[in-house]
Amino acid sequence: MKLHISHIAAYAPGLESLPDWQRWAAQSSPPLPVGDAVPALGEMPALQRRRLDRAGRLALHVAWQCQPQPEPAVPQVFASRHGDVGRTYRMLEQLASEGSVSPTQFGLSTHNAIAAQYSIARAFTGNYAAIAAGTATAEAAVTEAQGLLADGAPAVLVVVYDEPLPEDYAGFDPQPQAAYAWAVRLVQAGPDDAGFSLSAEAIDANGAAGDPPVPQGLLALRFLLSNAAELVNHSGQTRWRWRRH
Amino acid sequence: MLALEPEIKALIIETMALEDIQPDDIDATAPLFNEGLGLDSIDALELGVALQKRYGVVFNADSEEVREHFASVRALSAFIAENRKQ
Repeated sequence: MKLHISHIAAYAPGLESLPDWQRWAAQSSPPLPVGDAVPALGEMPALQRRRLDRAGRLALHVAWQCQPQPEPAVPQVFASRHGDVGRTYRMLEQLASEGSVSPTQFGLSTHNAIAAQYSIARAFTGNYAAIAAGTATAEAAVTEAQGLLADGAPAVLVVVYDEPLPEDYAGFDPQPQAAYAWAVRLVQAGPDDAGFSLSAEAIDANGAAGDPPVPQGLLALRFLLSNAAELVNHSGQTRWRWRRH
Repeated sequence: MLALEPEIKALIIETMALEDIQPDDIDATAPLFNEGLGLDSIDALELGVALQKRYGVVFNADSEEVREHFASVRALSAFIAENRKQ
């Protein structure tokens, strides 16, 4: 399937506007975003916004930018390798030190809680998915979107986000860590539309892609923003190929 | 019991992460949930846990009286003044 991007948005500390990201993507080796800036998320009522931590604010900020008007018929795919891991970590710390957990923190600690907060705030009662797929998380999200489009969805919103792992977990993920989120609103490309495709093939051994300079999810964003003809991502025993058409 | 009201207000603001709300903004007689401050059932649970930690008061979730104790800051303060263990 050939996909066309109708809207795109991205946010990381120091990279807040689309022109910032286009300059970032055009560099031969784009730098890892660093910093603690968090979007203000003024679109969301304060009473709902208070339930979101950094990961949620990042994700909902870019989602909202791609859907300034409510579109209840457009399904959303929220994808994050580690999810709201900072919240989970703080909850476990509290459990260890105080022997109890906050009901609110517990209720918000599932992988789909951020997608759910979005659907509540936008009053969307349709389909959403929350997925995680290791270093192929962005690829899995776009694959899910293709399925939804093939099934008749008029468009699909894909939101990819992550935040750095808490220090105690850092040794478990060799990829570089950054707080970022990006969103694309995807439609099936018409004959004259610019577009891209994504395909996967099985490979025999774990393909060693080396250590990427930025998280895999940001390499995918860079492909989507640039004019590159192709991006290949080896993840486990799968070779993913993004191609521009 | 009136002396407890500012303390309870501060606890609510802190526990519920209510940005931009000052203790004086909360009317001690206004409903805490739904139409008043706009808190919901998750907040009720959270507040129950916070009050238990701070004052050692225990709420029986099934009792009809809990609804009355949680009606407003004033009602909560009265209940805690009478039942606090710490």
